[in-house]
Amino acid sequence: MRAVLALAPGLHRAGGKDTQLTTALGVAAFAVTTALTLSVVGGLLGFVGREAQPQTAFQAEWSDIYVVLAWTAVVLLGVPLLTLGGAAARLGLARRDARLATLRLLGVTPREVVGLTLVETSGQGLVGAALGVLLYGLLLPLWALVPFQGSSFAVGELWVGGTVVLIVLLAVPLLAAVSGAVSLRRVVVSPLGVARRQRPKGMSVIRLVVALVGIGTFIVISTALGSLGAAAFVFLVGSLGLAFATLNVVGPWVLGLLARIQLRRASTPARLLAARRLLDDPRAAWRVVGGLGLAGFVAGALAIVPSLAAASTDDADQQLLLTDLSTGALLTLVIAFVLAAVSAGVAQAASVLDRRREYGLQHLAGVPAELLDEVRRREVLGPLLFVVVGSTATSVLMFAPWLGLTGVSSPGGMVMLAVCLTGGVLLVLGAVESTRPLLRSVLRDPVVRAD
Amino acid sequence: MDHAPITPTTTPRSTTPPPVSAPPATAGPAMTARGLAKRFGTTTALAGVDVDLDGGRSLAVMGPSGSGKSTLLHCLAGILVPDAGTVTLRGREVGTLGERERSLLRRRHYGFVFQFGQLLSELPAIENIALPSMLLGANRRQATELAAQWMHSLGLAGMEQRRPGELSGGQAQRVAVARALITGPAVVFADEPTGALDQATGAEVMRVLTETTRAAGAALVVVTHDATVAGWCDESIEMRDGTVVDRGVLR
Repeated sequence: MRAVLALAPGLHRAGGKDTQLTTALGVAAFAVTTALTLSVVGGLLGFVGREAQPQTAFQAEWSDIYVVLAWTAVVLLGVPLLTLGGAAARLGLARRDARLATLRLLGVTPREVVGLTLVETSGQGLVGAALGVLLYGLLLPLWALVPFQGSSFAVGELWVGGTVVLIVLLAVPLLAAVSGAVSLRRVVVSPLGVARRQRPKGMSVIRLVVALVGIGTFIVISTALGSLGAAAFVFLVGSLGLAFATLNVVGPWVLGLLARIQLRRASTPARLLAARRLLDDPRAAWRVVGGLGLAGFVAGALAIVPSLAAASTDDADQQLLLTDLSTGALLTLVIAFVLAAVSAGVAQAASVLDRRREYGLQHLAGVPAELLDEVRRREVLGPLLFVVVGSTATSVLMFAPWLGLTGVSSPGGMVMLAVCLTGGVLLVLGAVESTRPLLRSVLRDPVVRAD
Repeated sequence: MDHAPITPTTTPRSTTPPPVSAPPATAGPAMTARGLAKRFGTTTALAGVDVDLDGGRSLAVMGPSGSGKSTLLHCLAGILVPDAGTVTLRGREVGTLGERERSLLRRRHYGFVFQFGQLLSELPAIENIALPSMLLGANRRQATELAAQWMHSLGLAGMEQRRPGELSGGQAQRVAVARALITGPAVVFADEPTGALDQATGAEVMRVLTETTRAAGAALVVVTHDATVAGWCDESIEMRDGTVVDRGVLR
């Protein structure tokens, strides 16, 4: 085992420029995930601190609500953060699987293959987490500019503390290693698992059932909230997290359904290829668009906020609460959309590198680069629009018993939703387009042997 | 000297599979190369190579690793631009066309069979074959029907919906041959087409490749280091250090 693990750095270097780029993307994704996670947790701790030691009468009276709202933001952002972290751990999967499958053919045991993966992904996770802590440190002064409860936070109030930093530095590499090891099953089961790619297994309709149960649980709990009292907030936030997570379960299944419809209607090479790719691996497509789907869910939930904020009140405290609610909602949305764009960009870049040989040979055979661009755009745009509208509608439906339909029936809520979703779609498309130079560089470097 | 560039045809060209025993559909020079030279840094890959290709004939380019045979194929196919020399297709200079024109040329006038990996893993066999035809403007139904005819003629009937990963190496290469020929190319380039196959399967693929290309009237260039593979071709050239050291007519 030790002899094989000692090969890890050499094997990694042997991957060349692409592996280095994939590693850099993975590290960057882990860094963004860590920095934003710490920022969100820092915000929560800031409100908890003010609740424990209120400096003003307003803080003494209202801090408990702020803590609940901060927890809600943590839950809403938790899943996109985990999604990006998971995507980072799976970066360059095809390339790494092929490398490890070759080792399996050479007689390396499944345990040793898992060991190699753990070393590689946890290493990336650790470097990413360390950079993320630095990035969080750099962002702190920025977060401290945002006013809440009538005054800005001091940097010290938003600092999560050494213990949390230590936990993050341990947890991120651990999660990266687990995610990487889980993705290895095919190689471990059979060294030929990746050498001979076969028809992907379909996804069970159970995914839909799980999602409906998750969403239903939230609706039931939120409806019963009034009779259960304040303690129900814990259940409410928990079930919100559950319902939110189930979107990740049902998302790929729904995209598979969409792909079948698109395939039947595909009349051009670009449409045909985009539909086939989506059908081939809806999970990969979800990793690209899922972030925005989850952001759409957040937007749907927060569409109520402009209506609340617009409600004029003579009570200065209530007015401040409503203003802060808008600020918090905006902040949560901005973070969710940034996460979505980073997820999409990282996943697309990894996909270009994984398909390097395929793209190169297609181009050599005369397939125009513009067609490859169109396929990549179509591959994302269709699912993106579908997911954004679907997840926003789900969110509005889920929150209807609790918040009513004010969010989508008021002009303010509608405008906020439209602006957020349009901006989000453009942001993700921009992230996809940003990988165009990478594709061009792949095509400029054809599979040519100078012999 | 000005040459009219090879321009794309305005209507999609696609060919039904010819019977493999049919005589060449066309004759005469399809492609000519004169004085081709190419360097990579300080390495001379080609140093003044001449090639003549006739429609319906096949040429094996042989030589050890580093002899320049793949570079020659890439220069002939418009993948690389030679540093010196000319490549003409049906009398028109194509060696120095711009990147975009060379892409169009490859799509419309050439077919390719690589060692492996040219089939798109997400597409079933029939759609892999139909794709080049769709790229030239055929609608999906027409292209799929044509692809089905090619599959039938190459002994692949019943495998239409199989993914490349579900085909054997020989079957995948026959799909690649059909894909290369469906648009009726002037020249088919094959780079080590049997490199990933056992001898028996390789021989079967070469039989299909040479007979089908000949029947379609296309010229065929096969890069190989294997004399058995070269034996399926009509002519051969042997390369060393970027130059042709031997030429032979095999049949």
